[in-house]
Amino acid sequence: MRHLLLAALLALSGNRSSDAADFVRDVQPIFAKHCVSCHGPEKQRASLRLDSARAIRNGGSSGPAVVAGKSGDSLLVQAMLGLGDAKPMPPKGERVPASEIELVRQWIDAGAKGPANESIITTQIGSEHWSFQPVVRPLVPEVKEVAWPSNGIDRFILSRLEKEGIRPSPQADAVTLLRRVHLDLTGIPPTPEEVAAFLADQRPGAYERVVDRLLASPQFGERWARHWLDQARYADSNGYSIDAARSIWKYRDWVIAALNADLSFRQFTLEQLAGDLLPGATLEQRIATGFHRNTQINEEGGIDVEQFRVEAVVDRVNTTGAVWLGLTIACAQCHDHKFDPISQKEYYQLYAFFNNSDDPKLELVTPELKQKRTALQAEVQRLEQQLFAIERLNQETLDRWVNSLSPEVRLEFPQRLQTILNLPPNGRNAKQVAELMAAYRNLDRLRHVTGSFAGPLQTLGQLHLYRTRLNLERSIAATKRKIPSAETTLVLNERAMPRPAFVQIAGDFLRRGAEVKPDVPAVLPPLTVQKKPNRLDLAEWLVNGRNPLTGRVLVNRLWQVYFGVGLVETENDFGTQGTKPTHPDLLDWLADELVRQDWSLKAIHRLIVTSSVYKQSSHARPDLRTVDPRNLLLARQNRLRLEAEVVRDVALASSGLLTRRIGGPSVFPPQPDGVYSLTQVPKNWVADVGPNRYRRGLYTYFWRSAPHPSLTVFDAPDATATCTRRNRSNTPLQALTLLNDTAYLECAQSLAVRLLRESDTTDRLSRAMQLTVSRLPNPREQSLLGQLLDRQRRALAEHPAEAQALVGTTALAGVDPAEQAAWVQLARVLLNLDEFITRE
Amino acid sequence: MTQDLLLERTRRHFFHDCAVGLGAMALANLSHADAMKLPNPLAPKPPHHPARAKAVIYLFMAGGPSQLELFDYKPKLNELNGKPIPEEFIKGKRFAFMDSFTKNVPLLLGTRRKFKQYGQAGTWVSECFPHLATVVDELAVVRSLQTNVFNHAPAKLFMNTGSAQAGRPSMGAWVTYGLGSESDNLPGFVVLQSGPRGPRGGAPLYGSGFLPTTYQGVPFRSTGEPILNLTRPNGLSNQRQREVIDAVKDLNAVRLADTGDPEIATRIASYEMAFRMQTSAPDLIDLAKEDRRTLDLYGATPGKPSFANNCLLARRLVERGVRFVQLYHTEWDHHGGPTENLTTTLDRVTREVDRPSMALIRDLKQRGLLDSTLVIWGGEFGRTPMGEIRETVGRNHHIDAMTVWLAGGGIKPGLNFGATDELGFTAVEDKMHVHDLHATILHLLGLEHTRLTFRFQGREFRLTDVHGHVVKKLLA
Repeated sequence: MRHLLLAALLALSGNRSSDAADFVRDVQPIFAKHCVSCHGPEKQRASLRLDSARAIRNGGSSGPAVVAGKSGDSLLVQAMLGLGDAKPMPPKGERVPASEIELVRQWIDAGAKGPANESIITTQIGSEHWSFQPVVRPLVPEVKEVAWPSNGIDRFILSRLEKEGIRPSPQADAVTLLRRVHLDLTGIPPTPEEVAAFLADQRPGAYERVVDRLLASPQFGERWARHWLDQARYADSNGYSIDAARSIWKYRDWVIAALNADLSFRQFTLEQLAGDLLPGATLEQRIATGFHRNTQINEEGGIDVEQFRVEAVVDRVNTTGAVWLGLTIACAQCHDHKFDPISQKEYYQLYAFFNNSDDPKLELVTPELKQKRTALQAEVQRLEQQLFAIERLNQETLDRWVNSLSPEVRLEFPQRLQTILNLPPNGRNAKQVAELMAAYRNLDRLRHVTGSFAGPLQTLGQLHLYRTRLNLERSIAATKRKIPSAETTLVLNERAMPRPAFVQIAGDFLRRGAEVKPDVPAVLPPLTVQKKPNRLDLAEWLVNGRNPLTGRVLVNRLWQVYFGVGLVETENDFGTQGTKPTHPDLLDWLADELVRQDWSLKAIHRLIVTSSVYKQSSHARPDLRTVDPRNLLLARQNRLRLEAEVVRDVALASSGLLTRRIGGPSVFPPQPDGVYSLTQVPKNWVADVGPNRYRRGLYTYFWRSAPHPSLTVFDAPDATATCTRRNRSNTPLQALTLLNDTAYLECAQSLAVRLLRESDTTDRLSRAMQLTVSRLPNPREQSLLGQLLDRQRRALAEHPAEAQALVGTTALAGVDPAEQAAWVQLARVLLNLDEFITRE
Repeated sequence: MTQDLLLERTRRHFFHDCAVGLGAMALANLSHADAMKLPNPLAPKPPHHPARAKAVIYLFMAGGPSQLELFDYKPKLNELNGKPIPEEFIKGKRFAFMDSFTKNVPLLLGTRRKFKQYGQAGTWVSECFPHLATVVDELAVVRSLQTNVFNHAPAKLFMNTGSAQAGRPSMGAWVTYGLGSESDNLPGFVVLQSGPRGPRGGAPLYGSGFLPTTYQGVPFRSTGEPILNLTRPNGLSNQRQREVIDAVKDLNAVRLADTGDPEIATRIASYEMAFRMQTSAPDLIDLAKEDRRTLDLYGATPGKPSFANNCLLARRLVERGVRFVQLYHTEWDHHGGPTENLTTTLDRVTREVDRPSMALIRDLKQRGLLDSTLVIWGGEFGRTPMGEIRETVGRNHHIDAMTVWLAGGGIKPGLNFGATDELGFTAVEDKMHVHDLHATILHLLGLEHTRLTFRFQGREFRLTDVHGHVVKKLLA
């Protein structure tokens, strides 16, 4: 021992010969001159610092920068020499002189040691950027026009308008306002009766009562679930080329139920990101983890399965970053973020949270289902026992039968059985005995049919037995068919053994850099749990009230649905490249309010829709055209085209066709032929008949490779990646859909029938307008519609075939087909109005 | 440019260029001619620099055609047929269907196809393309194209959008976003399909990604109803349909006057274009209007869907000002086996494609359209020089070398560009990447690939991402 130690000391002192480079004296100045501006206390490109020996040994995203004792194997040297796979360093400017590289090599070969008490400048990853600062509740500003504000929101908006010398718009008329709040909260227009009741309610708080009623209606959950499902990239198929069907609608229904129950956004987050990790996770909480199972699955032949697992994990990181943090974290997958303080290493630290799940299919066995199953299974078991009793065959019976078979009869057996039959009774193995027994039973049956073969049993008794057995077999099969199969849904499940996670150099999963542990970006507050954090800890961190982004991002997304544009226009980029908030104090006030209200989403919805700014008229104002052309200061409301699903919903609701059932498997409304001419695997789309034909748009089955065309045409996202805001385009294909699609013709026919049945001739036109756009026609409209009706009545009387075609199968007894068809035409006109598909 | 800025421009265009003030909403009596002047997001836009090509016809050979059976002649490969490929070629390489290559060292597979040189350019073409061989002096054949991804769906996405993950705008969407369309009664970007099934990947291949849906590819069918929902309800006359559209227009104009929202004006214009499409699209697909000689040149039969019909349709679309036409023809996968082999399957698919592609070039040329129309032919990746053993021997997917050809629209005619090594394994001369192809296509259309951007999720996105160089040697 003593000798060994001595030898080691000698070797060490040998290396410390006078020509070995000293870190502080020889090496540190080289790095200071060439490298530290990018890899030092100020900046840490590739998470690498070269200002201390310890930092150099730790390395960065690509792993340790040096291999002590082996300069040739050290990334640092390779980069300085521009050898191997390493990117030549420094990237620009003068190369490091060969003599200096030689010093570095000597230092590495000598063990890459630094001084014992090396001092390290610690850097605080910080940022002055507004969105990374804590949310501080601002004071509600004073305003001059004190009568205008309804709540805190209005004072922020008005104070800014007053600063600019702009007056807000008057409140929208009562019908417009009622239609607006109905469409915004439920996606269903008010009925004429609801309009009448609202106009008649002169008591104070009439509007607020409507809001409360709508927030409590189950349609609220349907409407707002769709927004969340955009972000969750929900679809009913696997995507990529095969795009097979998947069952995950239970997750969709979970979202609807959660929003209707006003589950706090805190809990909403925990259950979706980590429901499986909650103590005593319920079935519902596990269903919620479907959020991150909405990633695509590639089932194409010849793929590398790991590659697409990694792609799914990457998508989960990017989606979490976009949905909760409003950050373009995805930018750091291949390199450090160019603009925001997020390093590539930190990207993979987030990746590490999502890298440990298995992706199972969960069978949803409800207690009732379980009970039913158990009962039926017991019944099957009972019947099988009976059958077994009859079929019991002991060795003795078998031997007796075998012995009774004459050599001639034996010849009629298949060769294989003949061999077994001819073996001595104790010379057959278990498998052969089983084969013989099977033969005996089959033969038994066969004999019954053909009447051939001599048998050991008497025919009459045999027949009775045969019938009993047949009946038993039938009952067993029938009972088995009755056992209900459980619905399934896709969920996350944390693995017992975590997978190691590495930086993936240039985003390539085959190029491993340094190993990383789960953690959050340093620019944001740290995790509460430091030791072995998991997905649940990440979810907690998002909604612990200290994260400066989650609340701001969320209230901004709600805001943008009500006004078309968020307070931060770049709703998916709160980083340094995003736009600044138009009303930063309002944003923070709302974010703080959210936490104060225990993350109640309904509280924020109520706050927004009861504000004066929300209730303003949306009419354009010539005076604003130059001072605020994009209406960012909100001196009026905006007219917004309805979303794809809601376009369908309003048509179904107005025409009286809508089936109001909530949830369940996705449905198949009619769609034009030829949708699958451009998919690899044509889908079987058999249009539903009956109530499912008229379900709300969000229940339409969504094939990723060929979504229902009327959804795509109205800008529904394609569910391949998270979508935090939809486009609103205005195209001829939309016109063709509303004009010609079978679904809309059916709506027009139904609306005509409804008008002819429910209203008399004097107010039929007004009723038509009320059912579609909620309001009464003005004189100009009255006359245009009157002219249209007259012209159509005349023309269709002259062309009965056309009248027939328009009425289709909906002809009413005792009504002139031309008259009915004229109303179908009028209904078509109303369903095509810009106003019909717009929230004003 | 964000969506709202885009809308804002449209609005500004409406108020300034159309000289319709908010107060003077005489739109209630808007005539059809006036309606045509209303803002159209597909209105032609000026290019960044003078364009060589005005339109693109992209013949997408879905499945990955084997360059080694068609264009890339490798006598050495034939000589070494059946020998194991030297290890240095495949060491560390990844392929689709990895198992088939990792169990045993894969063996080189020579081609059975006869090659000859054609034209003044002396372009090598195999016996599979006897007709196309007669127009090689119009083509630039690129034998050195490389891509990144080797599974069909991701590779097709990559070829179309520059990214192997869905969600980015396709080439056709970028181009119509950048240039608009010359047609006011057809979509700017049209997609056609022939072959036994649709391409792997579906809608995202021609989608608009984060660009407005106005720019997405509109699938056209060559028989029946060319565009979904184009046909008015069964049994209804054109007159009744027009009356509905007129009433919609009149009522929308009243609302426009009441609210002052220019989006309503755009909607009125959309309905007018929709009405025009109802006439123009059926007229477009009516190939019976072509003369006998033209039909014979393509081998097209009106009413019988085929690649030939689609090539002819493509010419008719371009004639009518459509900006980007993409034709998918499937069944180019040749792993080996009864349905995807290098013998009968390849015979059939090349027979389907050979004459029509030749005809398209000749037809465009004689109509003086070839100069302004860029024609591109190619798949999503190439095939390996090693055999893949299934029921019969075929070739595996391959990213290191593939052949595409380009013609017209400012491409240097009669050009043989790039070369692979003697086994045809990897491009060695004038290597070109998919991003370079994209940059070059945009360049010919007058668009600078670094300037054609759209702001999304905090940064400017491009078709070429952060890559791509215009391949100057390909330009005439």
